[in-house]
Amino acid sequence: MSADAHAASPAVDDEGRPLSPQYHVAHHFDNADHQFQANKLGIWLFLAQEIMFFSGLFCAFILFRAKYYDAFVEAHHHLDKVMGGINTIVLICSSLTMALGVRAAQTNKRKLGVAMLVMTFLFAATFLVIKYFEYHHKFHDGLLPGRHFTAEGFVHPEANIFFGIYFVMTGVHGVHVIVGMALILWITVKMYRGRFSSRYYAPVEGVGLYWHLVDLIWIYLFPLLYLIG
Amino acid sequence: MTEAAADAHDGHGQDDIHGHGDDHHGGPDHHPHVLPYKTYFLVWSALLVLTVVTVGVSYVDFGGANLVIALVVATIKASLVGAIFMHLKYETKFYTVVFVSSLVFVSIFIGITGLDYLQRGRADHVRHDRVMNMLHPFDPAPPKAAPKPAAHHHE
Repeated sequence: MSADAHAASPAVDDEGRPLSPQYHVAHHFDNADHQFQANKLGIWLFLAQEIMFFSGLFCAFILFRAKYYDAFVEAHHHLDKVMGGINTIVLICSSLTMALGVRAAQTNKRKLGVAMLVMTFLFAATFLVIKYFEYHHKFHDGLLPGRHFTAEGFVHPEANIFFGIYFVMTGVHGVHVIVGMALILWITVKMYRGRFSSRYYAPVEGVGLYWHLVDLIWIYLFPLLYLIG
Repeated sequence: MTEAAADAHDGHGQDDIHGHGDDHHGGPDHHPHVLPYKTYFLVWSALLVLTVVTVGVSYVDFGGANLVIALVVATIKASLVGAIFMHLKYETKFYTVVFVSSLVFVSIFIGITGLDYLQRGRADHVRHDRVMNMLHPFDPAPPKAAPKPAAHHHE
């Protein structure tokens, strides 16, 4: 820690570039930490809102599972544990590279930061590709929500409720992954242009927090949908 | 943070252009709290191991305990991500308060919805015997045999 903290002290990064030359503390903040913390509080309030947004879907899952337990257990066997598990690992790796990207910004390592953010972006794309194959397989088997549910051979007719919840929960999560990829792209470009440094990296930190939350939600989605049903 | 730790952290005493004598908080420039690589890789390894554990456990039938194990493992993973990757452990506790308060509201939301939804129909078997009078809900139910309800109970 201290080695990098010391490295953060010079006014230039390891390539001799000035640290975030356009950065300044807005006049309505007392100081840099005040500004940074206000920024971060806003991100955390947004994340709290995201959690409550997803809680509606978790609520639907829990209540329908309680009511149609046997149907849910039967239906969840049609999800691919291996693909879901690989996607979990992909997201965990993307969380690591994102955290290291934030760390690179904190320690003025521009090239490393760009590399870490590009890797995060690629992990996110991998997640979506695997999700596409999973969805494709479900479409093919007719495991679709509501009246589009054409699969046969289910003992419990309520199985289609499980797939309704599965598609909405993973779909909304997938939309968050896509939004996250756009945000990662944005901060990658800014990082490449040398906008971020130990003095100013709030956007990297904010996108990082959002990305970790997307990972956090998947950490609960995966066991509930794929493993328990 | 103690003064000595703040000095070590901010690199005071080094060639430091960010304002000598300034405390960590309140300085003219932001100084990030940088975690060592080791911490990040340890958390990453723990998350991978816990993922393998939770998948492995799902192949064994523990009955109702499967759900509990899965949720406990997920919560350990979520805590690691929150504490280390999201820096909650190292920041002002106010972010943790915001985060945890959202979980409190989620549990109220799901808990009370469950109380309603999962009790539906429990009153069905008595409902036909005791139809509630919506205009006078606290009046005794009218006796079935008597078409005219007695009015003397208002006295």
